[in-house]
Amino acid sequence: MTTLQRLMTATALALCPVLPAQAADLIVGFTLDADTLDPANHRKRETETVIRNLYDGLLTRDANMVVVPEIAESMTQVSPTVYDFKIRSGIKFHDGTEMTAEDVKFTLDRVTVEGAMGDGQTSPRQSLMGPVASVEVLDGTTVRINLKEPWPILPAMLPNQQIVSKAFIERVGTAGLATQVNGTGPFKLAEWRKGDAIIMERFEDYYGGATDIPPVGKACVDRVIFKIIPESASRVAALLAGDVHIINELPTFSIAQVKATGTTDVMTVNGTRSFFIAMNMEGEIFDDPKVRQAAAHAIDRDLIIDRILDGNAARIDGILSPDAFGASDLPDIAYDPEKARALLAEAGFPDGIDITMDAESAFKDTAEAVASLLTKVGIRTTVAVGESAQLTEKWRTAGKPKSGDMYFTSWGNGSLDPFDIFTPTHRSNDRGNSAGYANPALDALLDAAAVELDVDKRAGLYREAELIINADLPYVYLWVPQDIYGVSKRLSGWQPSADSRINLHDACVN
Amino acid sequence: MSLGKLIERLLQLVPVLLGVSLIAFVMMALTPGDPVQIMIGDQVVTPEQEAQLRHGLGLDQPVPVRFFIFLGNALQGDFGESFYHRRPVADVIAERLPATIELSLVALIVALATAIPLGVLAAIRKNSLLDRMATIGSLLGVSLPGFWFGILLIMLFAVHLQILPVSGRIGYSSEIVPITGFLLIDTLLRGNLSAFWDALRHILLPAITLGLPMAAILMRVTRTSMLEVLRQDYVTFADAKGLSRRRVLFRHALKNALIPTVSVAAIETGSLLGGNMIVETVFGWPGLGRLVVESIFLRNYPLVQAAVLFYAVTYVMLNFFADILYTVLNPRVKL
Repeated sequence: MTTLQRLMTATALALCPVLPAQAADLIVGFTLDADTLDPANHRKRETETVIRNLYDGLLTRDANMVVVPEIAESMTQVSPTVYDFKIRSGIKFHDGTEMTAEDVKFTLDRVTVEGAMGDGQTSPRQSLMGPVASVEVLDGTTVRINLKEPWPILPAMLPNQQIVSKAFIERVGTAGLATQVNGTGPFKLAEWRKGDAIIMERFEDYYGGATDIPPVGKACVDRVIFKIIPESASRVAALLAGDVHIINELPTFSIAQVKATGTTDVMTVNGTRSFFIAMNMEGEIFDDPKVRQAAAHAIDRDLIIDRILDGNAARIDGILSPDAFGASDLPDIAYDPEKARALLAEAGFPDGIDITMDAESAFKDTAEAVASLLTKVGIRTTVAVGESAQLTEKWRTAGKPKSGDMYFTSWGNGSLDPFDIFTPTHRSNDRGNSAGYANPALDALLDAAAVELDVDKRAGLYREAELIINADLPYVYLWVPQDIYGVSKRLSGWQPSADSRINLHDACVN
Repeated sequence: MSLGKLIERLLQLVPVLLGVSLIAFVMMALTPGDPVQIMIGDQVVTPEQEAQLRHGLGLDQPVPVRFFIFLGNALQGDFGESFYHRRPVADVIAERLPATIELSLVALIVALATAIPLGVLAAIRKNSLLDRMATIGSLLGVSLPGFWFGILLIMLFAVHLQILPVSGRIGYSSEIVPITGFLLIDTLLRGNLSAFWDALRHILLPAITLGLPMAAILMRVTRTSMLEVLRQDYVTFADAKGLSRRRVLFRHALKNALIPTVSVAAIETGSLLGGNMIVETVFGWPGLGRLVVESIFLRNYPLVQAAVLFYAVTYVMLNFFADILYTVLNPRVKL
């Protein structure tokens, strides 16, 4: 063969069509690789999304964020600080051994007890378990959690913990658990190609999962593959090319393209992340409530949601998402540039003010739009794009004096309970209180709500707190964007869930 | 080169590496951003729990102490544990390294295979249509952003023509048991031709994206150097002797013309290893570059520190090999 002939043969071979993935493979084009597969040793949402298909928890959430029993059969609150969990029998780990109440206790101890994770380390997930004092096994099938003080959100936080096998960890050690899996979840680990893909196989002895989330039984697909594609344009291309069946974080500008193909579609779900602009109340400009009101009235949130977010967000007038516990209708802070100008003049700035707004590069477009609206009423705003780590240090260090003017930011609320968004962003001197807001009356309400067990009373306390911040406006409350997924039309049995997890137990590929 | 010289060159590595470690460490420590805050993210945490986390990562020590702990451990081959992966940094880097090296080498082959023939042809047929096309092509190659070019290739070959995959290193139907970590070699060693083909199809687009800008530079270098050589008296003499054109070009001219190409290629290979973060991100290539970029944003100090050291060693070694190659190609050059 001449060189040319060889080249042509090679090219012809290269042009052979791509072998389609096996019909029973479900491939997810996912933004990030898991850091580790040890359920107790990470702090990342994406890592948990992967782990959740391999491991089950005592409790879980359905796609509508309702907390339901999974490995637990039932939950009983014995007293304000004592919860009992009856454990289902006949649940097997991937290695075939039976899961027991001892494994549940071991799992929870590993997360909550200082130095108990292994090698003398404390789990970085300890704070997610709040004031847990101890865990005990009452009889063979009941596990009791004792709290140091009432903590009404324990059931909402328990889906964050996945049950591990005591015997397995004793065998492989904490180091081994980072890359090996012996869970009770619908899929077992087949291979982890680091940085490339996590390949899982159906677990044939699966007990079926939460009885409240039908269908109950084994997983539908033979294999699930989380394929790591960090770049959004490439993720979209992989979906369009048919290489993957689900992609997360579909950019709004690609929605039309994905809808137009006939083979792919877009799915959305209300997210849990509230966006807002912190106004530095420790500074000399925004300590005046009139200036803060002026800023709030200057921003046309509907316009930005419509034009930049392509309609995929819900407006908020307080910190809580409309789906969160305790959320209620609040007085509307309407777009009113005239009023904004008047308020600014009343505050002693008839000629306007010059300020800087910090924002991460991912939100530069939106921040620029906000800045131009602010500038129109006389709050002449320059956007300063910074890197996340640097802005976090500048704005989110508890007790450190604030130095900037405005900070375009957000806070996630995966449990949809006000406790883990309202308290950190609004309580005096808390880590996430970027506005430097300090209101003892609000602090008292938040503290009371944190331990109030009566559901209606608790919702009432948060309603009162929302009314206070809606009037005080330490932040301009903006919106809660939707999570957007691109999916293949061959996919069925799956819907996105607000906590950004991708649970694939019931998903099928046709 | 004598053994003494070789050892001398290797010893020169020591101060370089010390300096690089110190600079990298100080720069990371001075950059704003706190790994503990990043790790906690949007979570409720008590000050005690925060302190506990900081202690667990060893960040409660002053910076100079941390540096000496790092240095002491590094001398024993221990680069610490990655904050996020919670495994030894050396393991995490070792997992990613083969993918990066493999991609860089294939990109280098793409670059050389394009640049040398085109450069030579452009020089021989100076000012011809081919020469002009090659010049325009190389200008484009140098100026096209890799990110954009990569996406274009994906749109064409993966989405529209559907003949190549969008991303990844190999498909999921072939199981790979690593021998060397280089898939193209491993699949061949195992005699699994379909897996080899699969791996080749995956590496093609990223290697072209990464290799073309380098090809553009190398082509310019080869062309210029070839033109210069072709003007030399000994080439005219060889022609006058009646040697065949082919013999004159390849035996006499090309060998000398390639000297600058080799040294530029060696230096550029260092940049390939370090500079393929963007290509790895676009093509979901599970290499080191992407890992390092992610680690910088997350302030994953131990991993960044070890990776910087690794890059420094590679760069110095590549230059060293370029020098040796130089002496081989041109015996008049002494180190």
